Amino acid sequence: MKKKTIRVSLLALVAVLVILEAVAIIVAWPKAATETGLLPEQDDQKAAAKLKAETAALQKKIGALAPKSVFIVIDSARNSLVLKTGGKDLLQAVVSCGSGSILEEPGGKRTWIFDTPRGEFQVKYKVVDPTWVKPDWAFIEEGKEIPKKQEDRLESGVLGDYALGFGDGYFIHGTLYSRLLGRSVTHGCVRVGDKDLKAVYQAASVGTKIFIF
Amino acid sequence: MPFGATTRGWAFIALVVLVILFSSLPAGGGDQTASLENRLAKEEILLAKTPSLYFIVYLKSKVIALKSRGLTLQEWKILSLHAWGDTLPLSALTLEKKSTLFPPKRTKIKPAANEEEAATFELDALELKDMPSRFTFFLSGGIRVFVRPKARGFFPRLGNFGHLIVWNVWVPLKNVFLQMRKKPFGSIDIKLENKEDAQSVYWAFPDGIKGVAFPI
Repeated sequence: MKKKTIRVSLLALVAVLVILEAVAIIVAWPKAATETGLLPEQDDQKAAAKLKAETAALQKKIGALAPKSVFIVIDSARNSLVLKTGGKDLLQAVVSCGSGSILEEPGGKRTWIFDTPRGEFQVKYKVVDPTWVKPDWAFIEEGKEIPKKQEDRLESGVLGDYALGFGDGYFIHGTLYSRLLGRSVTHGCVRVGDKDLKAVYQAASVGTKIFIF
Repeated sequence: MPFGATTRGWAFIALVVLVILFSSLPAGGGDQTASLENRLAKEEILLAKTPSLYFIVYLKSKVIALKSRGLTLQEWKILSLHAWGDTLPLSALTLEKKSTLFPPKRTKIKPAANEEEAATFELDALELKDMPSRFTFFLSGGIRVFVRPKARGFFPRLGNFGHLIVWNVWVPLKNVFLQMRKKPFGSIDIKLENKEDAQSVYWAFPDGIKGVAFPI
């Protein structure tokens, strides 16, 4: 008798759970977009044609936002740079992007995160034989005192033959550490090998769009 | 008598559940593609006018696209996609939070103590391989997107089995609970082709990125 009661109770519990789960599934069942009332039925052929024309015009406008000339796409995850025009790839290069590391100033006043910025940028200036103006973090990282004079911050020969600045101190530049190309090791700039850098420098001009993701 | 009273009772419950279940399925409207394409174009132009990256999830074509100024920068093919809950709004969504069991950790650089140490200094890199391959995106409007790769090997398969149970049992129950509290709820489960695809989605979608998900 007791056994039977337990069995019936268990069965009842399972039944309740099954019913609850079934109700939950019904309630959670995804609804079609049409059920929201957001999308009116397009039965009228004229209205449908008008809608299609409007969509085509919008898509044309979206297309017009894309760069007309050469542009640069940088995949910071795979450390790759592609020089493009229209639908064509002109050059594919292995690069080095930001390490994602954090540097804290002793005393904890300032913090730097060495990420390559993402989004849409443009080449703001181009430099041949660039000289690096070492920022504060470079001295802190090296355990050196931050110099007071600007000339003590200058270091030549470390950025390669060319540099393309894209704002906030970020550059596409060369590297002395070509063995690290393909690794995320920079302080946010994009390091490119000598040969590829020359091609990028020659193809890009001030205003050339750079897309980084 | 071939069937007892208990069996008939069970059969009746099962029948009622089935009837309710099928009657709740979407009836399948007319051709809404033109309307959806129009709405998508309207939403995309707003996103494309900004210098920020944005995403579009094509739910029917099963593609995730990362875009900027109308240009597709990267695409990921979705292997399978399932959804529960409220209809996704046909307007811009924001990635509010990324959640994963083992989030990637940034390395703290220890400033060099002397010149000798500075000369041998090498950065630790936070790279694609360090990104998680199973994670949840919390989007605005109470929408959760579970992303995971196709399971290869015993343990990933076991993990996916666990996910299957959570997805089919727990998530609908949670939906009921949230609906009772009048909170919005929508869940999407996305399975990608491989681990690297999932990792690169985690990398490419920064907090705050905007985008849309359309049933196109």
